Amino acid sequence: MSNFKGVNYDSPCDTDDDWTDSSDDSKYSDSASSVPEWDSDVEENGELVFIRIKRRKEKCNENKAPLLENCETFKLRNNFKRTSTRRSTKGKIFKVLKGQSSKNKAQSKKKDLENIRATSTATLNTNELTENPKESVIIQVSRNMIFSSEKNCQIEKLFGISLETHSDGKSLIVADFLTEAMPIYGSKVKKGYYLTKVNGIEVNSYNINNILQRVYEEPNNPKLQFQMPEESSLISLERLLKSKNLLENKSTQLLKDFSCSVLYISCNDIENTRNDDKGVIYCYPRPFSQNFLYNTRGAYLTLNHLAPKSLGTSEPTCSTVLHNDNLIHVNYTSHCNDLLLITFPNKYIDAFSSKKVNADIVKLLEFLYGSLKTCFTKPNNVDRLDSLFCRIFVTLLFNNEQASASDVHFEDILAAYSVTLPLEVRVQVDDAITELEAADYREWTDDFENFQRLYTVIGSCLYYSGHLLSSHLQDEDLKEINAFLKLNGVLALSTDNELEKLVMWKEVFIHEHRKQSKNDGQDYRIPDGRWFLLVVGKGHFILATLMEAGGCTEDAVGVTPPSPFYVEECESCLELFYEVSLDKYLASWLSSNTHPQIETTPERLTKYGKKMKEMNSFRADTLRPTLRTSKSSADLKKRHSSSEQIYMGSSLSDNSNYGSHHNLYSQWYHGTQKYRHSSLDVSHSEDSNSLKSNSEISDDRVQGRRADREQRNRRDSSGSDSDWDRQEKHVLTLLQNILIHLCSERW
Amino acid sequence: MRITLLGKNVRNVQFSTIASLHGINMFTKCHNLTMLNTLVDNGKILWKEYCKSVTLIGIATGGLECDLELLLASIHDVMIFCIGKKELETLKNVDQTKRDLRQCYPLIDYLLESLDPNAISSPLPTLVLDLVQSFLCPQAQQLQQALDNYAESVTGRWACLSIHGHLVATSSDFDELNPREARLMLLLAASQDGAPLRETPVYLPHMSPNVAFRAVTCKLLSDVYILVVCGATPPLSQIDEIVLLCWEGYAQVIKEAKLIHPRNFPMSITFEPCVLAILVINIPKRRCVFSRHLHPTQKGRGMSGSHRLDILRTFYITTARDLAPELRIDDQERDYLAGLTETYWCSEYHKCHAQRMRNLLCCVLYTSTVHNHTMRSITNQILQDLSSNKEIYW
Repeated sequence: MSNFKGVNYDSPCDTDDDWTDSSDDSKYSDSASSVPEWDSDVEENGELVFIRIKRRKEKCNENKAPLLENCETFKLRNNFKRTSTRRSTKGKIFKVLKGQSSKNKAQSKKKDLENIRATSTATLNTNELTENPKESVIIQVSRNMIFSSEKNCQIEKLFGISLETHSDGKSLIVADFLTEAMPIYGSKVKKGYYLTKVNGIEVNSYNINNILQRVYEEPNNPKLQFQMPEESSLISLERLLKSKNLLENKSTQLLKDFSCSVLYISCNDIENTRNDDKGVIYCYPRPFSQNFLYNTRGAYLTLNHLAPKSLGTSEPTCSTVLHNDNLIHVNYTSHCNDLLLITFPNKYIDAFSSKKVNADIVKLLEFLYGSLKTCFTKPNNVDRLDSLFCRIFVTLLFNNEQASASDVHFEDILAAYSVTLPLEVRVQVDDAITELEAADYREWTDDFENFQRLYTVIGSCLYYSGHLLSSHLQDEDLKEINAFLKLNGVLALSTDNELEKLVMWKEVFIHEHRKQSKNDGQDYRIPDGRWFLLVVGKGHFILATLMEAGGCTEDAVGVTPPSPFYVEECESCLELFYEVSLDKYLASWLSSNTHPQIETTPERLTKYGKKMKEMNSFRADTLRPTLRTSKSSADLKKRHSSSEQIYMGSSLSDNSNYGSHHNLYSQWYHGTQKYRHSSLDVSHSEDSNSLKSNSEISDDRVQGRRADREQRNRRDSSGSDSDWDRQEKHVLTLLQNILIHLCSERW
Repeated sequence: MRITLLGKNVRNVQFSTIASLHGINMFTKCHNLTMLNTLVDNGKILWKEYCKSVTLIGIATGGLECDLELLLASIHDVMIFCIGKKELETLKNVDQTKRDLRQCYPLIDYLLESLDPNAISSPLPTLVLDLVQSFLCPQAQQLQQALDNYAESVTGRWACLSIHGHLVATSSDFDELNPREARLMLLLAASQDGAPLRETPVYLPHMSPNVAFRAVTCKLLSDVYILVVCGATPPLSQIDEIVLLCWEGYAQVIKEAKLIHPRNFPMSITFEPCVLAILVINIPKRRCVFSRHLHPTQKGRGMSGSHRLDILRTFYITTARDLAPELRIDDQERDYLAGLTETYWCSEYHKCHAQRMRNLLCCVLYTSTVHNHTMRSITNQILQDLSSNKEIYW
C-alpha cells in the first residue's frame, strides 16, 4: 500500500503546481469543455475526423486579435477540471521532470503568453483565411476570332475552350483549350480553373446558354473571368481527410492523368445478371468509359482465371502494361470469386513497391471493413471509398513536395520509420503509454463498482513526425494501423504541419478477429466484440489507440461515437509529453542524429577510425540528418548549429537541451543526482547541465532540496529509484573488489 | 499470325488456353494498351512481339523468369536462323511459313530442354543464354590450326569444333560471329542426331538475316562435331573427302581433348576441396566454362550436380552479371555501380563468390564452412591461375 501513501503525499504538491502554471497549460486545454469541440463533426455512423492545424504564417496577425477572445479561452479552461485530476496521478512518474519543466515555463511565461494569443487567434481565423478572395484572372477574347470546333460547340467556337461541369453540378471548369486559343490564354489560365464570370455576370451550368446568347448580341469583346482553384499546387491532405463524400474534381483528374485506378469485379454469375456493368462493383476514378482499367478488365479477368486453372501457376500478382507511353503496374488481389485490381504508374511506384503497397492497401481495407467483399458491397459506401482511394493515391504520389520528381522511396514501402531512443527516455515514454492503457481509474469515482468501463485498451502506438517511437500493439495490428496512418496521410500531415488538434475515431476489424471467424476450434478466443481505433494528434505527435468493446466492458450497440472521456485521456497523455518537453527533446534528437543504427564504414569501428571520426565530426559543422524530420525541427537544427552558444545563455532554457542528447534524462534525474551527492558521496562528473544559466542553477537547488525531501521520504518504500541506484553501486563496488581480488591472487 | 511454340513440359496446354493468352494481348491492343508481362508467384508470363509479325508468349516459373525475355529473343533467333528474316516478316504464305518453321522445332526443343537443370539426360545443359559454353583444353591452339586449314580447303569462312555440345576450338576468324549466332551453330550441331555429314541452309540473324549460308556439320567421333559455314561450291561428297584429309591426323589430339570433359579445365589447374563448382566467363569473347567435377576422387557431397548448376546460374543471372555491365543485352539504362569487382552470397548451405579481373569473371560455389575472407582469396587465386596458365587458350 506504499503506492497510496505516495499519492497522498504527492497530490497537494502537484495540484499546487497546476494552480501556479495554469496559464501555461491553457494552450493545451483551451479547446476542452463539457461539450468537446469535435462533437459536431461526428458522422452518422459514429466516425470522426477532426483536424485543426496550427498555421505558422498567421502568427504575425496576433496583434489584431481581439483580447476578449483570449479571455474566452481562459474561461473555458477553468470550466474544465478533469485535466488537473488526471495529472495528479501522472505526476508520480514524471515528478522530477515536471518540476523542471514547470520551472522552465515560469521563466518563459511571457513568451508563452504570447504564444497562447497567437494560437487562439489562429484557430479563430482559420475559417476566414481559407475563404480569402481567391485569385482571379480576366481575359478578353476578340469577337472577330471564331474558333473551329469539331463538336460544333458554342463555347468552343466563341472562346476556344471546352468546359466541363464540376461535381457539384453547377460551376464550370476549364477542361481543355483549342490549339488556336492556346496563345490567348497562355500561361494565365490552366486546365481545372473555374469560369466564374462572363462580362461581369456570374455564370454557371444553368445560365451558360443564355449568357452565350447575350455575348452574341453584344458588340463588345467578351470578358471572361477565371478563378484559380484553391491550393492549386498541392492537394491539401487535410481537406482530403476531412472530406466525407466530396470528390474533388481536380484531384480525380490528376489521378486519371497518373493512371491510378481501382476496380473491383465480382465473378459470381448471379450478380452478373443483376448488374449492368458485368460484375463491376466498384470503379475509381469514374466515369467508367474513361477508366482504362475498366475498359480492359476482360484481359485481367481472363488471366486471373487462366493462370491457375490452365497453366498450373499461381494466380497472377502483377501485370505490367504500357498505356499512352506510361508503364503501369496492375496488381491483382483475389478474394473468393472476386478480383480487386489496383494500378500504379511505374514512374512513381516500381514493380517491387507496387506489390508491397498493394498488400498494404488490401490490409487496410480489411482492417476498416472486415473483408474486401463487405468493403465494396456495403451500401452507400461508394463516396467513402472514393475519398479513401483519393487519399491513398495522393499520399503515395505526392507524399512530400519533392516526391513528384523521384519515385516512392524503398524504405517508405517496407516498414514504419522508427527511432531508437535512449533507454531512459524510452522507458518514460512507454510508462506514460502504459498508464493510458492500464486505465486505472480508481481515484476517479468512489462507486466504481457501479460503473462498467466502455472500452479496454488493447494497445497503442506513438509516432513523432512520422517516426514510430513506441508500440504496444501486436505485430499484425501495428502493421495495419501503420498502413492506416500512412496511406490516409495522417503521418505525412503530422510531419509537415504542426497539429493543433487531431481526433479520428473509426470502427475497425482487427486481424485476430478476422482470422478467428475462419477457424473456430481454438481454445483461446478473443471476445465477440467490436474494436475501435482512436487517433489523437498534437504537434508532431500521433497517438493511435486500439480499443475493444466486448468481454468485460459494456457492449457497444449500434452507432458508437467516440467517447469524450477516452479522447481526453489520450490527449492528456500527449500533453504529458509536452510537459516533459519530449517534443523539444525529440526535435533535437532527430536532427542531431548522433546515433545512426548502421555504421556504414566498418573501418571506423577500429580505435584509430574512431579517433578519425571524432575529429571529422568536430570539423563538420553541419551533420546531415538522415532521418526524415519535420520542418520545424529542421529549422531548429539550423538554428542550433549556427548559434548554439547564444541560446545556451538565453532565457529559452529549453533550447539548452541541445548541448547533449542525453540531457533530457540527465535533467530528469537531476534531483536524484543531487541526492546521491549528499548521501553517498559518489563523485560524478557534471555533464552539460552545468552549462545552464545561473538563474536556472539556483532554481535547481530549490528543486534539488525538494527532491531531497521527497527522496528521503521514499527511501522507506522499497524499489524506489534511489535504492536501485544504491544497489547498483553496491554491486559495482563488489565487482570491483572481486576483480581486484582476482588480480591479486594471480599475481 | 500466331505461331505456337511450347516446351515439352507445357505441350499438354490446350489450344483454348493458348488462344486466350493471345486474345488477351490482342484485346488490350484494341484499347491502346500493351500487355508486357504478368508476374505470378515465382514466375512470369511474357508477351513479346517481333517484327510486327510474330508474337511469342513465354511462361516460366522457378528461377528462369529473370531471363525469360532473353529466352524469347533466342527463340526468335532460331526462327530467323531457319527460315530467314524476310519470310518471317512478310508472311506471304502463312501456311508455307508454318510448314517451314517445323524444322526449327527440334532446335527449340533442344534449347528449352537444356535449360531445365533437372534434365540430367540432356547432353547439353545450357547455363546461361547469352554466353557460349566451352571448355578449356591445352590442345585448343593445335586444333585451331587444323580448323583454319579445313575452312580454307572448303572455301568456308567460319569453322568450329564442338565436343559434348561445348565449343572447344574455333577457326581464327570465328569471333566475327555474334555470340548468339555461335550458340545457334552449336545448337545445330547438337541437334544433328548422329548424322555423319549434313548441310543446312542457315540465316545468320545478325550478319545476314536475309541471305542464307550453307552450314556443313560433320561428325568426327561420337559427340565430336566440326562445323563450317561456307558457300555453295564444294558439294557434300567432296567435303567428305576433305574432312578425311584434314582430320585424319588429329584423331589422337581430339581424343585427348575429349578427356577434359566433364572437368572442363586442364589438369594443371587445381582447385581447393571447398570449391564445389565454378563458372568462368571470358567477357569479350562471351564464352563461359562451367565445371562441377573439379576433384577426381570426389563423391556426392550431399548437393546434387544439377542443384549446384542451378545455384550458380541463379547467382550469375541475378547478381554476378552486374559485375560485367557490357554483358547486358537489353538496353535498360540502369545505373550500375561503376567499378564493382566483387559480390557474394552466403546461405545456410553454401556460399557464392564472384570476382572480376580484367576480362575474366569468376563465379565460385563454396561449401558453407568456408570463411568469407578465405573465399575471397581463393577466388582471387583461381583467377590468377587462370590468367597465367600457359595451357589455357580461349
